[in-house]
Amino acid sequence: MTIENKKGWISWFNPFRYGTDRWMYSLHRLTGIILGFYLIAHVWETSHILDGPITWNSLMVFLDYPFGPHFGPFILSGVLLVAVYHALNGIRLTIVENGLMLPKPYRPEFPYRPKSLKGLNNVLKILLGVLMIIISAIGIYFIFTGVIL
Amino acid sequence: MQEIALKGFGEVLKTVTFRVRRYDPEKRELAKYMEYKVPVQMGMTVLDGILYIKEHLDHSVSARYSCRMGICGSCGMIINGKEQLACQTQILELNKDLIKVDPMGNYPIVKDLVPDLSKLFRNHGSVKPYIIREEEEPKSEFIQTPEQREEYAMFTDCILCGMCLSACPTNATDELYLGPQSLAQGYRYITDNRDMGFNERLNVLDSKHGVWRCHFSGACSEVCPKGVDPALGVQLLRQLLTSNSFVKYKQKEATKGPERKSVSGVS
Repeated sequence: MTIENKKGWISWFNPFRYGTDRWMYSLHRLTGIILGFYLIAHVWETSHILDGPITWNSLMVFLDYPFGPHFGPFILSGVLLVAVYHALNGIRLTIVENGLMLPKPYRPEFPYRPKSLKGLNNVLKILLGVLMIIISAIGIYFIFTGVIL
Repeated sequence: MQEIALKGFGEVLKTVTFRVRRYDPEKRELAKYMEYKVPVQMGMTVLDGILYIKEHLDHSVSARYSCRMGICGSCGMIINGKEQLACQTQILELNKDLIKVDPMGNYPIVKDLVPDLSKLFRNHGSVKPYIIREEEEPKSEFIQTPEQREEYAMFTDCILCGMCLSACPTNATDELYLGPQSLAQGYRYITDNRDMGFNERLNVLDSKHGVWRCHFSGACSEVCPKGVDPALGVQLLRQLLTSNSFVKYKQKEATKGPERKSVSGVS
């Protein structure tokens, strides 16, 4: 009797001891799952508009202050960060998974550091980080103050 | 005998604990961890440590190894959470007092640290890892320039250790996924200018569990002991297949040398 020893879905979230790309993969999975749940909750939330203005307004107040004053904007900021990361990393993956911005086949040399995870791919990762900081800063500022910079 | 076997070794620098995952299919027990104290000398690899355990502490520990120099790819295992060849991992370089040794994941276990790699070989065979030609017996040599060889040369270094399939997070949940090793080998034979079997391989590579299941986590390239960079091969193969759906990919026909009576036999 042999056992299968499958690592299973839990290993999606085990990026330790691998590289940056593996971390970004785990984050992409995690943010994707969070966004999936958020979209279901969002549809449920907006469906309350059919129950009339009183229900809708009370729900809006509840979602703004679920655990105390001004907790709603914090949740919304979290959703924004998740969505921005997922979108930007999705664009990066679309580029590199089509073989663009990757090196040509090369001769591996000791100590065997893979070049496909470096070079222009690294530039894309840094660009992702910079864009994420800018976009989420503008977005969070808008969520809390209602003013677009 | 022991004195002779240990003669010539340096002095013991420190003692590390090996936490080895044990599983015996005949005993009908769950896998469990057992700890062994191993004295470490300069230059000792993890494989040497396992062999020390086998010789002196517990004869029933099983591991697969052959060449002890990172060529055969038999001794891949998860050492401190990362797939590594046991024969190429220095214990002193790990710089840890506790070394956790697991068998490779995503494979059935034969015993202790020995995985059943038949899935890897089956997938490798399914992409037809050989040069496909229309004629049965070639009449002349195929001429290949050094530049044409460079296009695929890095993927020929694969030693089939199977560590990429163990590290791959897609393979952890998709039983039928071909895996980075097979996909990179598919790319290697498609880009070989002597090969004419692109369309024959297409139904395997361009399938639901083929090249499109890769999410480019880069773990396969990270653990590859030969620096083959299978993730690069998979992405380049995907680029080739994407462009193939717009403009049909045409394999480069190798120019032929002067005709000979027989190239298969010894002349």
